[in-house]
Amino acid sequence: MRAGNPAQARSGGVERLTPTGDPLLAAKFAIPAVPRTHVGRNRLLDRLTEGTKGPLTVVTGPAGAGKTTLAAAWAATCPSPGPVVWLTAENDDSAPGVFWTYVLGAFHCHQVPLPDSVGIPSHTGDVDHSLLVRLAAELARLPQPVVLVLDGLERVPGRGVASGLEFVLDHAGPQLRLVLISRVDPPLRLHRYRAEDQICEIRGAELAFTRHETSLLLRRHGLSPSPESVGALTSRTEGWAAGLRLCALAMQQADDAEQFARSFAASQNAVADYLIAEVLEAQPAATRDLLVRTSILDHIHPQLANALTAREDAEWILARLVHANAFVEPIGDTPWRRCHPLFAEVLRAHLHSRRPGLVPQLHHQAARWFAGHDRPSEALKHAAAAGDWGYAAALLVDHLAVGNCLTGPDTHRLEQLFSAMPEDLPGVAPALVLAACALARGEATSGGAYLDRAEQLLGSTGAPEERLTCALLRLLVLGGGGGGGDTDGTAAEALAARTRDLMEQVAAPQLQRHPEIEALRRYGRACALQLAGRLGDARAAFTEALDVCPAESAPEVRCHCLGRLALAEALGGSLRAAGRHASEGLDTAKAYGVTPSRCPGSCHLALAVVAADQGDLQGARRHLGLAVDAGEAHDPVVAVETAVLHARLELAYGQAGSALDILDAVQGIHAGEPAQRMAVARSAVHLARGDAAAAIAALQACGPGGPAHTVALSAAHLAAGECDEAVRLLASIDGQQDMSVADQVRVRLLEAQAATLDKDASAAVGLLGRAINTARPERLRAPFTDAGLWLRHLLTSTPETADLQSWLTGRPGDAEPLVVEHISPREHDVLLCAAQMMSTQEIAEDLHLSVNTVKTHLNSIYRKLSVSRRSQAVRRAREVGIL
Amino acid sequence: MRYEFRITGRLSAVVGDAFPELEKESVPEQTLLFGNVTDDAHLYGLLVRFQDLGLPVLEMRRLPE
Repeated sequence: MRAGNPAQARSGGVERLTPTGDPLLAAKFAIPAVPRTHVGRNRLLDRLTEGTKGPLTVVTGPAGAGKTTLAAAWAATCPSPGPVVWLTAENDDSAPGVFWTYVLGAFHCHQVPLPDSVGIPSHTGDVDHSLLVRLAAELARLPQPVVLVLDGLERVPGRGVASGLEFVLDHAGPQLRLVLISRVDPPLRLHRYRAEDQICEIRGAELAFTRHETSLLLRRHGLSPSPESVGALTSRTEGWAAGLRLCALAMQQADDAEQFARSFAASQNAVADYLIAEVLEAQPAATRDLLVRTSILDHIHPQLANALTAREDAEWILARLVHANAFVEPIGDTPWRRCHPLFAEVLRAHLHSRRPGLVPQLHHQAARWFAGHDRPSEALKHAAAAGDWGYAAALLVDHLAVGNCLTGPDTHRLEQLFSAMPEDLPGVAPALVLAACALARGEATSGGAYLDRAEQLLGSTGAPEERLTCALLRLLVLGGGGGGGDTDGTAAEALAARTRDLMEQVAAPQLQRHPEIEALRRYGRACALQLAGRLGDARAAFTEALDVCPAESAPEVRCHCLGRLALAEALGGSLRAAGRHASEGLDTAKAYGVTPSRCPGSCHLALAVVAADQGDLQGARRHLGLAVDAGEAHDPVVAVETAVLHARLELAYGQAGSALDILDAVQGIHAGEPAQRMAVARSAVHLARGDAAAAIAALQACGPGGPAHTVALSAAHLAAGECDEAVRLLASIDGQQDMSVADQVRVRLLEAQAATLDKDASAAVGLLGRAINTARPERLRAPFTDAGLWLRHLLTSTPETADLQSWLTGRPGDAEPLVVEHISPREHDVLLCAAQMMSTQEIAEDLHLSVNTVKTHLNSIYRKLSVSRRSQAVRRAREVGIL
Repeated sequence: MRYEFRITGRLSAVVGDAFPELEKESVPEQTLLFGNVTDDAHLYGLLVRFQDLGLPVLEMRRLPE
């Protein structure tokens, strides 16, 4: 993020759309100017003063009722309980992330400093609830009250923003005085505030001008109407402020003001229609043309107006309209102008009705003007409105902004914008944009298909921007599992290097504006290496990627990097490092308001693996649930590890069948590291069922693999009684450099198991000790609990293992071993009943078993849990997470 | 769903064209607009369009099919 004006800097990603010093951004925070001819109406101003003594004031009324002018006049002239923070909402702000970014920006712009610890939304689509909690807490801590005026709230429909507002209002305490200005009732539960007498409502009927006020308004316009005219105008317009201003303009332009009032009163035409026609028709042709052509814009810049009218006098015309109060108003101290929304709407109707063919052409011209003035997001909007998709896509690619589809706070908006783009649009740029949108949705395979098309069209030529975007997306597709055959990561390495080369070919300043490109490049490479099973390289690559993903500019990429790194560490048995990285990832997500739906599930998954490996099955379940909720299931690495851990947990509860079902449900994993991880998990399930042959078959089906694969194969052979083969396999990998902590521990345990089969108890105990010494620093317990019966026999039969036992149980001096045999589903049911204090008789009736069968089950449970009483069994089962 | 909207005053051709999907009929000091409304989104969209153009809706009703 660039340094600069704090208001812009705080507004996070929006700053990128509307560069520093951008008048539109300032315009949203500027308290609108009160027109020269404004009539101060004390009855209403006093109501606002009264209202801002309480928490909520709502000003509603139709377009042109004078709501904004009233609030602006109040802010300019009346005593306020504290600083006034103003935000004018616009149509683009309906996404909660954008809305709250602007609210935070408004506080800064109006010099009501909120600490940085509040954070900023990192994503347009949604906002993290904890950010609102922090905002409310900081507002409650303010030394004096602050009046927050939100104008144009009808442009932010939907419960998303409203419920957030309601939450902040309810929890910010008495310091926040909210003034909501809207054409329609804001979707807050207003009745609740009414019941508590916490709301001041100024509605349309009150905003209507009285005859006296009408007379004052006309006088301010230099008119001196007769009482009859005033009465006629007031009743015909029903006191509608915009209507009366239009009347005043028309009367100024008419030869006979009284005659105008009479003819207006007698006219049967709709008020707005009649008046606007009167005012518009009275304008010179050039002015009319300018107004009609610029009606496609939200904000009018004189140069842009010149471009749209092919004339040179826009600045002069606009200045004249502002001076005449003719519904064009300046925006702050900028050259930009804004048309009154009501007037703009009628002008748009004129444009569509009289020059329908002109509309796309105007959008087309506006798009090019904005692109030429370095405002790509506005340019994109108009290009899309013109249906000029080829241009819009080219714009995104040429600006190297495709990465914004994937990382930026702008993802949501861009995806929405391009959702209307036809899929079969020819050209490189559209194919690249479609690929990026597909990747953003997590569809690596379809993203790859679009890239195929782009590459075909590119051939060996193409602009460096196109080739760079293409190579970067290809790398990300590869990392997302859409690449197919790259089993050893060479393709990924080549692509990463190629992307690096291409980065050097594009203009440096442009590249500097997009730090996310390098971040994505390193992230994509690391993901691809992880997918290829090069875990050590992947860990290094993720660490490298973190160096170029500062949380401020790429919070989401950083979180994902941390999550994936944590997962890699956890799978390698470096549990402490894994826990650290995962926690940092989650903290970053929280601090930067990354919403739970976009928060990397890999962080939770890593924590789940850590918990499971340390013997905390309940914690593992909890984190696994959170990981699944995060919905990152499209990524092959995450999907596989989720399934593997889920299966492991099911197995720990004795549900071997359901563990297999979970593994079978994972689709589309046929090769590479993920396939091997699946095979290892399958073999573990088969072994638990006592089917060593099936375990060996499952492993052999995916060919020779890394250390984990060999260790699993050795375990299966050992279970099958083929001790020599098992030892040979272990010897083949012993001392290998890249072996993970977990695998080292498992190797020792298998050697110990082999030694017990040889009746060599002392060797076994020695090996067990070495295993524990390796595992102890990481508190890695799972290999021991999973080891099976032989370990329990060894521990109980050799008194010298007491200290090993105490480490395994995690409670010094407690002789109960942690090693627990798998409990069958039926035994689990019995345990559940026992936990509910049911008698043996009751359990038997409940489960439709005989009393003797229940007793048999209970005895077997006691044996497996190493206890002697029912209450102990329940307590123990809870401790090890079976209940 | 067919709907009828009753608006104060007559509409000029330009403003009337902002509702190309509706038929218009002028009655003294009012205009009736009626036509097929696809769904709720369309209905509320029409109401917003009336409001955007400063046209107060006096009455709105669903017509029998």
